[in-house]
Amino acid sequence: MASLFPVFFVLFIVLGLEACAYLLVPKGPHQTTLRTAFMLTFASLYLMWMITYLAQLHPLISPYRSLKIES
Amino acid sequence: MGDDYPSMFRSEPMSLVQLYIPTEVAHDTVAELGELGNVEFKDLNPTVNPFQRSFVGEIRRFEEMARRIRFFTSQIEKEKDHIPIRPLYDSAPLITVGPRAARTIDELDEVLGEHEARLLQMNDSYKTLGERMRELSEARHVLRETAVFFDKAETQQVDARASFDESSAPLLQHDDRETQYSSTVQFDLEFVAGTIDRARVPTLERVLWRILRGNLYMNHTDIPEPFVDPVTGEETRKNVFIIFAHGEAILAKIKKVAVSMGATLYPIDANVDKRADSLREVTIRLDDLQTVLYHTGITRRSELLTIGENLSRWEDVVRKEKAIYETMNLFNYDVRRKTLVAEGWCPTRDLTMIQMALRHATEESGTNIAPILQELRTNKTPPTFVRTNKFTEGFQTIMDSYGIATYQEVNPGLFAIITFPFLFAIMFGDIGHGFIILFAAIYMIINEKKWAKADLGELVGPFFFGRYIILLMGLFSLYTGLMYNDIFSKALHFWQSGWDFQDVNGVEWGRPNGRVYPFGLDPAWHEADNGMVFTNSYKMKMSVVLGVIHMTFALCLQLPNHIKFNRTLDIYTNFIPQMVFLQSIFGYLVLCILYKWSIDWTTRSTEPPSLLNMLIGMFLSPGSVDPRTQLYPGQGFVQVLLVLIAAICVPWMLCAKPYFEWKEMQQTHGQGYVGLDHYDGPRQSSDQVLEIEEEGNGRVIVEEMEEHEQHDFSEVVIHQIIHTIEFCLGCISHTASYLRLWALSLAHAQLSEVLWMMTLENVLGMSGLIGYIYLALVGGLWFSATVFILCIMEGLSAFLHALRLHWVEANSKHYQGEGYAFTPLSFAKLDEKD
Repeated sequence: MASLFPVFFVLFIVLGLEACAYLLVPKGPHQTTLRTAFMLTFASLYLMWMITYLAQLHPLISPYRSLKIES
Repeated sequence: MGDDYPSMFRSEPMSLVQLYIPTEVAHDTVAELGELGNVEFKDLNPTVNPFQRSFVGEIRRFEEMARRIRFFTSQIEKEKDHIPIRPLYDSAPLITVGPRAARTIDELDEVLGEHEARLLQMNDSYKTLGERMRELSEARHVLRETAVFFDKAETQQVDARASFDESSAPLLQHDDRETQYSSTVQFDLEFVAGTIDRARVPTLERVLWRILRGNLYMNHTDIPEPFVDPVTGEETRKNVFIIFAHGEAILAKIKKVAVSMGATLYPIDANVDKRADSLREVTIRLDDLQTVLYHTGITRRSELLTIGENLSRWEDVVRKEKAIYETMNLFNYDVRRKTLVAEGWCPTRDLTMIQMALRHATEESGTNIAPILQELRTNKTPPTFVRTNKFTEGFQTIMDSYGIATYQEVNPGLFAIITFPFLFAIMFGDIGHGFIILFAAIYMIINEKKWAKADLGELVGPFFFGRYIILLMGLFSLYTGLMYNDIFSKALHFWQSGWDFQDVNGVEWGRPNGRVYPFGLDPAWHEADNGMVFTNSYKMKMSVVLGVIHMTFALCLQLPNHIKFNRTLDIYTNFIPQMVFLQSIFGYLVLCILYKWSIDWTTRSTEPPSLLNMLIGMFLSPGSVDPRTQLYPGQGFVQVLLVLIAAICVPWMLCAKPYFEWKEMQQTHGQGYVGLDHYDGPRQSSDQVLEIEEEGNGRVIVEEMEEHEQHDFSEVVIHQIIHTIEFCLGCISHTASYLRLWALSLAHAQLSEVLWMMTLENVLGMSGLIGYIYLALVGGLWFSATVFILCIMEGLSAFLHALRLHWVEANSKHYQGEGYAFTPLSFAKLDEKD
């Protein structure tokens, strides 16, 4: 089931959220700050998730562990 | 972004204003503007000596008052029992504007003078009384001790008498009765009594012995209690001595020597009764002195208490008034119209507010003449002012520490609100530690009203100032902790892992089961022996990807700057080649990383290439890609193309701008304009400069020559060379610099794991009561090490590195940072300065 689909799916969701942030923050002294904050937050959270997901999609090595004797 | 509201994207537009203030209203106007805190006044008398300025007298007066207040503060601090100073927010304010202002200040001056005089007098008398008391108590000791000597001497009179050489003494022993009866008469040996420092006693003995050749009898005792100087508090230990000798000359010598060695001599009578009388008298006087001293102390304390009630508001008034008069010294006095002319910068948005403040000041002062505000137009660079609130203040300050933004350039502080905590969190990712710092931040924010007033000191103060930064840092750390799947070095198993473990020859191997751990790092890697191999690769690639994206973002911030300042040429000569260079090498690398991750290599016939070797090979042997380890078909051709594009960008960056500048210079020269150094040709002044001359009412306006850019061609070339080299080398070194995101997060995770393994892991298995005790102790050790080492120390370290990434790697792509800060006259800020 490991596919690239979630990457794009979540990307579109995040783009939608960014559009909402841009359009829905009301005018006022904090509009620029709030807009920038929300948009940057969504972007950075998505980026980190995407990188983590992609790195584990088709890993080149497998984990191994030596058996630990339970004390 | 509309102009109706201030935004942090750029610094606020500022206006140069000129104020014509009638002298009667001047003080109140400046007071009002100081309360508002929106105007930065320029010095209109730069050539005038500070001692020759108009309001020097008033400033001196307030300096004197400030000195008196400092004296009071030091006296209050010296008191052993604490004297409370009523805090400023609790005191009633002194009204210093309006018609009664002068009277209030005069009264304040008088009151301060009176208090000071009284305090000085009390201190003086306290000192004198203290000295007297010391003398008297020394005398008492002398009287007491000498009494002992005399008693002893009487009992030993039999032996002593043998060495006396006086005629009236009978030589027969049966005269003892008589001698005892009239011992005082027989006992006509003279003596000198007094006190001396304990250290000096042996010296005194030796000196006297030598001088008098042994013709003396000296005795001395310690005075048990030390004498405490009431003013300075130092202790001295003294001894009482009594020296018996015979003969005027000898006695005189003894007296001289003793006095020269610092002894104090006391007249003691030989008669027992007289001595007893003296002792009584001294004791009575001592008691009297004690009472007087005590009462002086009480009076002084009550005086200090009264002062303590008012001290903060006096201090506040004096500070404000001094600031007002110092500001008024910057103004120009127009003798003809009896007004003061002031010039200053203020945010354009606040002009209406300032107008209202001026009107308010006129009303308060009770006169009818209002100050006039006029806006000037100028070529000078205004100060940089970014309007912040308590949340954004911290972020703006940390970015300003690198350099104040040039007037109206894009402000990196706006983006740092999110990018800084995010980059911090990448280096700090741990749910548990993130929660600890989040909790600390929330605690500070809940108590912020109380803490803002208190003096927090140098250690806690900066943490409190950055409480909102810490709040965001904590929130992002929770998220990155979730991504790294790390809570106090343990992993969470929220979802199903993508690996199933099978036992093969005593080692458990993981086999992929088709699932991808949907959110964060698979916990299977946490327990694996080769887990670090995977996480290192993952974190290093993540650092490079995020680094290139951050740098690209910072580079794009150049665009609004070029557009705003009408530097369209720069877009084509600087921005585009820089962007192309960055993307053709490092953008390509990022794409390759992402692409390599998205391929299922088990279904491919080629081997997965090492991206590092691929990048190096791209430059060392362009065009030749080993088909067994190629990433995609046609890679060789694409890479050669990219290298060529990057190679073209370098001369593009180097030569394009100087070429266009040179062409422009040729053009202006061709049209007959000469350089600015010569005044033959028409001046290349903009309309704005000429307008100033009209509005100046005939005053000579000094045109700032340094505002015009030096169109010296060689400078442009050199500047461009430096810029190009810096950018190109910087691209490579900055990309590598972002690897610190990997390094610090690795160190943090390892430190956390080691701490757990060395402490709690050993103790969790223990059973019984001893197990609980150990658990409590070791748990406490673990928690304090977590807070101090992992949260505070590592937190500060990650803070520093995230800040460095912003200051160097990001800012070097777009930031000019040549502005100066807006420092308005603000009474609220006077507090902070002290």
